Amino acid sequence: MNSKPCLTLEDCKKIGAAAEAEARKNKWNVTIAILDDGGHLLWLIRMDGATPFNGQVAIEKGRSAAVSRRTTKNWEDRIAAGRNALLNMPVLPIQGGVPIMVGSECVGAVGVSGVQSHEDEQICNAGIAALGLKT
Amino acid sequence: MSLKSALTVAAASALFVAGASLAQQPAQNPLDVVPDKMPNDIPYGSPITLDHAQAAIAAAVAESKKRGWKLNVAVVDSGANLVAFARQDGAQLASIAISEHKARAAVKYRRETKALEGGVQSGLNYLLTLDDVIASRGGIPLIQDGKMIGAIGCSGGTGSQDEVVCKAGAGTINK
Repeated sequence: MNSKPCLTLEDCKKIGAAAEAEARKNKWNVTIAILDDGGHLLWLIRMDGATPFNGQVAIEKGRSAAVSRRTTKNWEDRIAAGRNALLNMPVLPIQGGVPIMVGSECVGAVGVSGVQSHEDEQICNAGIAALGLKT
Repeated sequence: MSLKSALTVAAASALFVAGASLAQQPAQNPLDVVPDKMPNDIPYGSPITLDHAQAAIAAAVAESKKRGWKLNVAVVDSGANLVAFARQDGAQLASIAISEHKARAAVKYRRETKALEGGVQSGLNYLLTLDDVIASRGGIPLIQDGKMIGAIGCSGGTGSQDEVVCKAGAGTINK
């Protein structure tokens, strides 16, 4: 039988602390969500000043990245390139959701919402980098 | 039976029924009582800060871990929107939504979800028709300076286990 790695709450705290530090460094008030490989919420913080809307969007970006094993930027780019049919896919195709890959295995994802999309993604990446995974 | 005797029996029966209802004095429906004051009249305060929410979650998770339990813990603000969430390793998936639901219901109904559970258990089934009710203990409002700033919800164990962990989290704010 196959076995695969799995995010722990400690991993989530590491990712979350690094992502939050990145956001605070830039004075960005965001929501940071971490989800497992099934797209189920593991950990979330909504910083003071981030809206309830950000909370929902961060979760949905993270879920999209987790279950599709791609960044939500990848979805956004393909739609922007004219693949309009992808608008009908059950994902939120807005940059700011990044899967967490251990080798070729997706173990979950980070979703961020609150600032510009590319900045949201920057926060995701800063969080995932804290795990020290080889890419 | 003749017509006359049938009428006599009918009249006697009617009298009997009337007599019985007078003697019984039907019990008043407790739901008809009109109290003078509003129940659970806790004002909604400003939304809980992330620091307070994370402190509550940390305390709840520590209590749960100490007991070897695996729960989901959610904190919502005074608008019933999620502020912070943590899932312990191995906690059941259904409880992600349930923990948030308990916290949300505690804010929306300004009372512990245990009160809703108690109501349903005592036979007040109409409670289940109210919007966004969850009749299960483990959701507690967070009160600061007399105002409700949010609520914490725990799920993953029995209701009683959820409640213990929830109280540990709520204790960081409800003094």
